[in-house]
Amino acid sequence: MSEQKPLRVVGQPIERADAHAKVTGRARYTVDLAKPGMLHAKVLRSPHAHARVVSIDTTRADTMPGVRAVATGPKLAEWVAMPVYGYFIKDQPILAMDRVRYEGDMVAAVAADTEAQANDALAAIRVVYEELPALPGIDAALDEEAPELFPEPPRGVVPPYGEGASAKLWPRKNVCYAFRYTTGEADVFDGCDHVFEDEFRFSRMHHMHLEPFVCLAEWLEGDEIEVATSCQNPFPLRKEIARIFRVPENRISVKVPFVGGGFGAKNNCKTEPLALVLSKMTGRPVRFCMTMEEAFLTNTQHAAVLKLKTGVMADGTLVARQSHILLDSGAYSDASPLVAEKAGYRITGPYRYKHVDSVCECVLTTTTPSGPYRGFGGTQATWASESQIDMIARRLGIDPMEMRLKNLVALHEPWMPGESGVDSDMAEGLALVAEAIGYGAHKKAEPGWTRGHGLAIGFKDGGGVNKPAQARVKVSTGGDIHLMCGTVEIGQGARTALSQVVAEILGAPLKRVEYLPLDTRYTPFDQGTNASSAITVMGQAVQRAAVSVRDQVLQMAAEHLGTDVAALELEDWTIRHGNEAHPLAPIIMHVYGGTGFEFTGDGFHKQANDHHAPLETKSVFWEIGWAGVDLSVDRETGQVKIHALAVSGDAGRAIHRLICRGQDEGAALMGLGQAMFEQMIYDGSRLINGEALMYRVPLAEDLPEQFTSILQEQEHGPGPFGAKGMGEGTMLPVPPAIANAIQDAVGVRITDLPLTPERVLAAIIAAES
Amino acid sequence: MSLVSQDGNLKVSFTLNGRATTVQTTSTRVVSDLLRDDMNMKGTRVSCGRTVCGACSVLVDGFPRAACSTFTFELEGRDVQTIEGVEGSDGSLDPVQTAFARKSAFQCGFCTSGMILLAKSLLAAHPDPDRETIIAWISSNICRCTGYELIIEAVQDAAKAIKAEAGA
Repeated sequence: MSEQKPLRVVGQPIERADAHAKVTGRARYTVDLAKPGMLHAKVLRSPHAHARVVSIDTTRADTMPGVRAVATGPKLAEWVAMPVYGYFIKDQPILAMDRVRYEGDMVAAVAADTEAQANDALAAIRVVYEELPALPGIDAALDEEAPELFPEPPRGVVPPYGEGASAKLWPRKNVCYAFRYTTGEADVFDGCDHVFEDEFRFSRMHHMHLEPFVCLAEWLEGDEIEVATSCQNPFPLRKEIARIFRVPENRISVKVPFVGGGFGAKNNCKTEPLALVLSKMTGRPVRFCMTMEEAFLTNTQHAAVLKLKTGVMADGTLVARQSHILLDSGAYSDASPLVAEKAGYRITGPYRYKHVDSVCECVLTTTTPSGPYRGFGGTQATWASESQIDMIARRLGIDPMEMRLKNLVALHEPWMPGESGVDSDMAEGLALVAEAIGYGAHKKAEPGWTRGHGLAIGFKDGGGVNKPAQARVKVSTGGDIHLMCGTVEIGQGARTALSQVVAEILGAPLKRVEYLPLDTRYTPFDQGTNASSAITVMGQAVQRAAVSVRDQVLQMAAEHLGTDVAALELEDWTIRHGNEAHPLAPIIMHVYGGTGFEFTGDGFHKQANDHHAPLETKSVFWEIGWAGVDLSVDRETGQVKIHALAVSGDAGRAIHRLICRGQDEGAALMGLGQAMFEQMIYDGSRLINGEALMYRVPLAEDLPEQFTSILQEQEHGPGPFGAKGMGEGTMLPVPPAIANAIQDAVGVRITDLPLTPERVLAAIIAAES
Repeated sequence: MSLVSQDGNLKVSFTLNGRATTVQTTSTRVVSDLLRDDMNMKGTRVSCGRTVCGACSVLVDGFPRAACSTFTFELEGRDVQTIEGVEGSDGSLDPVQTAFARKSAFQCGFCTSGMILLAKSLLAAHPDPDRETIIAWISSNICRCTGYELIIEAVQDAAKAIKAEAGA
């Protein structure tokens, strides 16, 4: 399917397909939707980290003005077949059944005519709790004396893994999942000149997507379900709803309008099951819109403790790595098993090793459930791995850049046994960011400050495991193109990029392509909008659908004109045959009759199953982010000033350069926030900064003095026209690159995030004394 | 002065996107609810609900205000502009909107209405802003997607376009 012709739509400086809707405010999000007779849902949340629910009295709330339904866990059985959900492990109740497991756990819900009435009714519900010991973090949950958060472990599944990978459910107390990957023989450690053991801690962030968790759900007569929701994976959500309510999937319509940000949080059930319960109870449509404070209590990134043991030769050649990672999964498993899989698998980063043995465990604690977050385990792994690589280089007296170059997996070389070949020249990317910050040639620092440089490479498998994607392209008689696929426009620009692919193949301007609204009843199947998979996985399905239509059109025209398909070209719904131009509409009317016709092409893509690959499919592509940092540290205060941050991603081929640039820069700034200040702060099990005023995210004023993003197009990607996925890669290397630069500047190593002035100063003082 | 009726309702008069407007509302009604729920103007987007993120920014007498935390009665006699009032009556885009569209200075778009209004206010106060001024102004709003650089460039492009238009 190679395209030799010059590209007319792909890579061209054209406006995003959603530009007009978004700059005029006309774009519609789930939060904007309403239905006649709609009720509003609000939930009562647990004030305790861990408690038995003794009794819930709703008698006053039941009769308050405007109240149409009050739901509690014990009453759910009347309305729901299976009141729990989760990815691998079904452990999260729609409403607490007999126990609450974190501050914010949902205990009761009210549907009322207005949100204010619903809130008033919540205040009238009386719950009696019997407090149980809290497990505020990994150490507490693993303590010998700690109680089990789930005395009877909920059921779950372990997916099939390939060579070297395995996992266990509930391997020990309060651990719901443990993933292990191993390759090579451990005895290679014996031949190493040095073995270094280091421990790293990773703080957790909230996604802080600006559009809240929100849905508008309606349980229609005849047990038909309609849900519009701000969601990243409508088809898996449909499957969960079908299971929870025991309703056939063909009676469920999940619709997804524009989504106002997700960054991973909007995968799987959030507001939807509860809104459906309330709709079923009342026979009315129910809107459940959480506040931002509630979002903080719903899903977060995984905090982590990462222990690395790395064997190395005196010349800097990496030999072996063992790792033990503990993820703070919060109160419910959510996507923790999947994150564990990725954190465990990605812990070696972009380097070659003879032996790897990596274990990652998901520890349940009485805090907000942790779930998918941009980078998905790769952020945690990169923080530890890229910090330790620098530490080892400095201990051996080797330049950290040289050490990286020495050990990088080469272009096309399989990353691990059974894996696909790496599809970027990683040395090239490293050279670009190093040059952009003037690596090694330190500029003068201000008095009292010391200057330092740091580099890091983020590396993750991209495109997801077990992601089948289908797409359909329809073209009407007049040449109007319909693109139907399940990729959610969440801001990443998928509508534009996928429409560009179709326009390019059909020789049409972008404006001719309409990306149809997503409805699981009519949109072809897709696993979800995650893992940077849209352009490489869905992109290939879309490409095939468009090529199918093009081939059908050319075949028809060739037969009509009495010539060979090879002699024809399709351009703006006109057939070019040498110097002749034949508009298609009259030909179609002639061939198919006066009512016209619609050409339909279907496309499908799934990375082939392969038991030799550790995760059962070879990685679709490799998502790589390079970062270089030039900073100064004030030795008196520990303050860090970033002079230059240069990041680079490889788009393979940029379908839309500004969209790629925006993805890389947005990801890098999220990484910068994580590095410098952004974190959820807990006092025991209580989140104390779970709202916008207290939770600090990067603002424009937090931009480094110089912020450069370098877009590479190395053209080795598997997607259409050589494209690769984007959007997570440049987040990964930023925190370790900054920590590495701090060590370069002041000789101290910070192993905990974020890199606050307090931590830096404490390390400086400790080193001086 | 606004009129308070027997049932505690308020009559508030102001200019909304150039048109004289009078609404009957309550003393606790905030502007974002008035616009979104009572007037079906959904372009003003509420996110944090506490004056921090700026997604719900509207212009009151030309300066940004958080609609989520402004009472409707505070609009009495004021001039209010929302995203719906930024484009021309013929549907043509304002130079700031054009610059945001051309620069892809948005991703999910949830902060975009507020950012565009903020940028309009900024350019009214500083027709030829330097980078520091742009950063100082747009630091009052949160964009979780873009990393801000493309927004800064869009504001710079808009400033140039407005100047070119004025000079032509």
